[in-house]
Amino acid sequence: MKRKSKRGLGLVAIAASGALVLAGCSSDSGDSAATDGATSSATDEAAVEDGGKTGGTVNILLQSDQILHLDPQRNYTGVDLAFMTGYMQRTLTAYKFAEGAEGVTIVPDMATDLGTPNADATSWAFTIRDGVTFEDGTAVGCADVKYGVSRTFAQDVITDGPTYAISLLDIASTEDGSSVYKGPYLTEGNDVAAFDQAITCSEDNKTITFNLKRPAGDFNYTVTLTAFSPVPAAADTGEGYDNAPVSSGPYKISEYTKGQRMVLVRNEAWNPDSDDYRPAYPDEVVVQFSLDPSAIDQRLIADAGDDQTAVTMAGLTPESLATVFAGGDPRFAERSVDGFDPYVRYYTINSAKVPNKMHRQAIVVALNRAELLTIAGGDFAGTQGDGVIKPNLATDYAESGMWTDLFGGEVPDAGNVELAKQLIADSGEPMPLITFDYPQTPTNDKAAASVQASLAAAGIEVKLNPIEAGQYYGVVLDPEQQNELNSAGWGPDWQNASTVIPELFGANGGFNLSRVDDAEFEALVQTALGTVDRTAQADQWKELNKYAMEQAWAVPTRFGKIQYLWGSKVGNAFLWDAYGSLPFGDLYVMQ
Amino acid sequence: MSLNLDPTAAKVVGEDIASENSVAGLSLKALAWRRLKRDKAAVVAMVFLALIAFVAIFTPWIVGALGLDPYSFDQEALDPALGSIPRGPWGGISWEHPLGVEPLTGRDIFARLLYGARVSLFIATSSVVFIVLIGTSVGIVAAYKGGWLDALIGRLTDLILAFPFLLMLIALSPVLTQRLEAFGVSPEWARFLYLIIVFVFFGWPYLARLIRGQVLSLREREFVEAAVATGAPTRRVLFKEILPNLWAPIIVYATISLPTLIAAEAVLSYLGVGIIEPTPSWGKMLSDSVRYFVIIPSYLFIPGTALFLVVYAFNVFGDAIRDALDPRGSRNN
Amino acid sequence: MTAYVIRRILTGVVILILLSMVVFLVFNALPADPAALTCGKSCNPQVIEANRIRLGLDQPLYIQYWEFVRAIFVGRTYGSGTATFQCNAPCLGYSFRKGEEVTPLILKALPVTLWLSFGAFLLWLIPGVLLGIYASRRRGRWQERSVLGAALVGYSFPSFFIGLLLLFFVVIRWQWLPYPNYVSPFEDPVQFLQTMVLPWITLALVYMAFYIRLTRNQLLETYSEDYIRTARAKGLKEGTVIRKHALRAGLTPIVTAAGLDLAGLLGGAIITESIFSLPGVGRLAVEAVVDADLAIITATVLIAGTFIVIANIVVDLLYAVIDPRVRLS
Repeated sequence: MKRKSKRGLGLVAIAASGALVLAGCSSDSGDSAATDGATSSATDEAAVEDGGKTGGTVNILLQSDQILHLDPQRNYTGVDLAFMTGYMQRTLTAYKFAEGAEGVTIVPDMATDLGTPNADATSWAFTIRDGVTFEDGTAVGCADVKYGVSRTFAQDVITDGPTYAISLLDIASTEDGSSVYKGPYLTEGNDVAAFDQAITCSEDNKTITFNLKRPAGDFNYTVTLTAFSPVPAAADTGEGYDNAPVSSGPYKISEYTKGQRMVLVRNEAWNPDSDDYRPAYPDEVVVQFSLDPSAIDQRLIADAGDDQTAVTMAGLTPESLATVFAGGDPRFAERSVDGFDPYVRYYTINSAKVPNKMHRQAIVVALNRAELLTIAGGDFAGTQGDGVIKPNLATDYAESGMWTDLFGGEVPDAGNVELAKQLIADSGEPMPLITFDYPQTPTNDKAAASVQASLAAAGIEVKLNPIEAGQYYGVVLDPEQQNELNSAGWGPDWQNASTVIPELFGANGGFNLSRVDDAEFEALVQTALGTVDRTAQADQWKELNKYAMEQAWAVPTRFGKIQYLWGSKVGNAFLWDAYGSLPFGDLYVMQ
Repeated sequence: MSLNLDPTAAKVVGEDIASENSVAGLSLKALAWRRLKRDKAAVVAMVFLALIAFVAIFTPWIVGALGLDPYSFDQEALDPALGSIPRGPWGGISWEHPLGVEPLTGRDIFARLLYGARVSLFIATSSVVFIVLIGTSVGIVAAYKGGWLDALIGRLTDLILAFPFLLMLIALSPVLTQRLEAFGVSPEWARFLYLIIVFVFFGWPYLARLIRGQVLSLREREFVEAAVATGAPTRRVLFKEILPNLWAPIIVYATISLPTLIAAEAVLSYLGVGIIEPTPSWGKMLSDSVRYFVIIPSYLFIPGTALFLVVYAFNVFGDAIRDALDPRGSRNN
Repeated sequence: MTAYVIRRILTGVVILILLSMVVFLVFNALPADPAALTCGKSCNPQVIEANRIRLGLDQPLYIQYWEFVRAIFVGRTYGSGTATFQCNAPCLGYSFRKGEEVTPLILKALPVTLWLSFGAFLLWLIPGVLLGIYASRRRGRWQERSVLGAALVGYSFPSFFIGLLLLFFVVIRWQWLPYPNYVSPFEDPVQFLQTMVLPWITLALVYMAFYIRLTRNQLLETYSEDYIRTARAKGLKEGTVIRKHALRAGLTPIVTAAGLDLAGLLGGAIITESIFSLPGVGRLAVEAVVDADLAIITATVLIAGTFIVIANIVVDLLYAVIDPRVRLS
């Protein structure tokens, strides 16, 4: 029941508006569009003999000054999950390293199989493989996974992480809605017994059983999150664990200077026989932090020296796109990709402050979405959206029809001013002043100016409220400070709209910026969440998506796209739909 | 950094000024004007600055007459397939858009450049006016009242001068603009006011110190002592004897401060804490252009050159004025 | 002399205390709840309240200030139970946004700023003073006019425009240098120099112009002083006159300006660091502002202020050494 996503919250100050990307994780199906025009060197793989893959150093160039959270229970950003699971954190199951739809299917990692649910999917059991160890060589057992999961409940220390453990595990809530279990750091007033019943370990400490509040047919996707990774209790330093997590994967941290450099070397304790998932090709992975985004692009374009084995975690900046993609330069064709990321960008309309549905619809209808897409960067930024469920969430996506008939008329990409005026006239109430909250970046500033102008044309007065990018979500998640219109972005946490619709519009949604309070809708959401039949569930999500659009709780501004460029000696690089990133754990250096 | 609110040059040179009120029967004013007119560079700078001032005052009419508009978006001028960069070479320079258009929005750069000049000059001039008013008054009061008041003002200026002011300007921006907006000031004006307030706050102490020194030395001079001896009231001494002797250092200080503040506004907007969208600003144009300088260099050069020319013209002019007002004559003699 | 030094240092300390109070007060006047700013992206009321108590933000302001100052000298422990963390003296606060103590962050950024500042300092001061002397020796001639003219052009270039131009031409267009990417000089001297040369030139170009003009003006002034005339009349060599007499007397304002400029830079060459993405104090501060990271903002402003106060003291004391006319009482 938590949280968030976003991209494109740029740094105001520094030369370019790089993305402080942090996001809900993601996944998507391999809708063919996702790899449309995508080229990757994955096909080169065949050309390289297997023996040539091992060894070398993969360089990762980053704009940000750190991987937001190394602590597995706090890690929740798509690319960060890709990085951590690829190198250091083993999970019970994991997304397959593959292009397209295959990339969002799961395979066993630490577990022997994809888990065993009971009849109504309210209980899931996983058995941990032999030979899985921490970096000091001690075996990983059920107790370590259980301890890791327990940390999520210490919400005052373990911040920023996903909270599916809290919302799914069968543990009672107190009156204020928080769990009666408060994590491993508290002894008094803490219902430890409740937690011990929710997760049980077999005698041999090999099999872990999760007992859930409600049916969850896709719980084996949930455990791909590092929030379900093992943590050795003895090494847990609470807040401090974020700086020095214990590795269970093929690499461990040998050197880490925050803001500058992190070096991963082989974890000698890792047993390849226990891990069919990670090929662990390179000998070393070096992460360089705090680089200028333009500098990263320039270095990748130049492709000199060590940068030939370099990759990034953020996409190319808009200004480099013309150079890489439009020039028809063959040098870039083989080492770049342009495809859909997991995110939908949208503006939410606060229904608590704009209670009149027709007023909300007037805003949706009046927006010049064509202009907004141009400002975001044109064709590279994405395509027009028609809901909060993106086509790459294949089973759950259906056209919402919001731009054809949902509001009583055709709405072209440039907006329909007349229809907006009509809706306001029909609403029987004067249109309120709309204040638009958005994280301040050069690009967002321009988008805001466009919002202001296009709504003004329909007679809607808009006041702009730029918020320092770093403070943005802190401010708008507070109902007291939030205004009528908000900029947001969201990606699913796994291949199910159960991580979208309830989060964005549900009563307990962690990202309910629309402040939806609609009993009928909520009842339908609960029904959908409890539906184990995936096809029936998908139909419900489609309807709920349409419902939300008709209520004008949000207006999608685009289905986002992302572009990556990598060094010419990097093998196995492609757009991995699981996280909208490169498949870090699968990369190798061409010798 | 060129961004130093303390034009030390003025401090150093200013001390020499006002030591002689007249030379060879000509009032310093007339003499200075004559010298100024002889300085060709200064005349060119003056004409250029007058032109800029004219453009800044009449921007809406000029831009309107050319059929341009700094705010309207022009999607037609952009190519979405290339990431919304301007169509055509040189950032989309055409008859329709004389200096091209902005990437992503298609707004006209020429119109935004002129409006940017207006904003920049407005902020710099208003700040200088307040700096002069406050700095001069405080300086005179400190020198004249002396005692604990002088000491207090002295410590206060010490304290303000101890602030790393560029850092403060940046750090204070969210604090103060949010406060101003809470008072109902529009976001655009909140930024204008913020810039003026911080420029004045961190700018007046330098002038106050300079003026205090001037007044102290003037008080020792015969004509002032004579006036005091004849029983002239303090107010009269101040306005009739002291103030007329201060205008030279004040003018020099003001002409040197103006370009400093124009550059400061650009720097702050460049760093993202100055003027905000959609208001045009040279600093913002520059910071936007950084991202595009590989593909659209003209977008960087246009506002950069404009900024340089204005600051340069002010500096040439300021130099000339200082020389002209130098009672011992200048290097031209 | 000793008494003067002590008094000068004492007033410096008083200024520093006042500065810390003002800075602390100003940044706690942020309209948004300071506790709300600590937990960043994923905020829930529990986290905010927990942080409020852990950071002592529930206490009255004067107690918070006292805790802050105390921590600088004796360190501080945040939180209670198992989830505590120690911030060792000199503790300048704890950034919850980064999950790190502020002091190490600053200590990490400081060397970058030091290298940048001192390198640029030498690069502008020496040529600046030499060219100033040259101009003063060629008074009224074309050499003086061209030096001064060039200086005025340099002086009028906003530093960030120079920086951008250098970056554009030298790095991107002509590719004479790789993209700036800071490393310690002890780790990779070549890359260090490749990274620093443009920032140094940027700062030097801007500042040098000022020092040329200042030196020239000072020298012209002292040339007309009686003791210089005497020295010349005595038949001393012109070089000796300049070195031993004119320059020494004219040095005072140059030292003042140099000291204060250097101090200003040490507090963070914000623009240059931003343009060339150098991980120095200035960039740390700017990023903290963007992130609304109060702990880092407060600390960087204080550090920068400290440099300025110290520079003022040092400059005042240097006066006594340099200028025989200054009497310390």
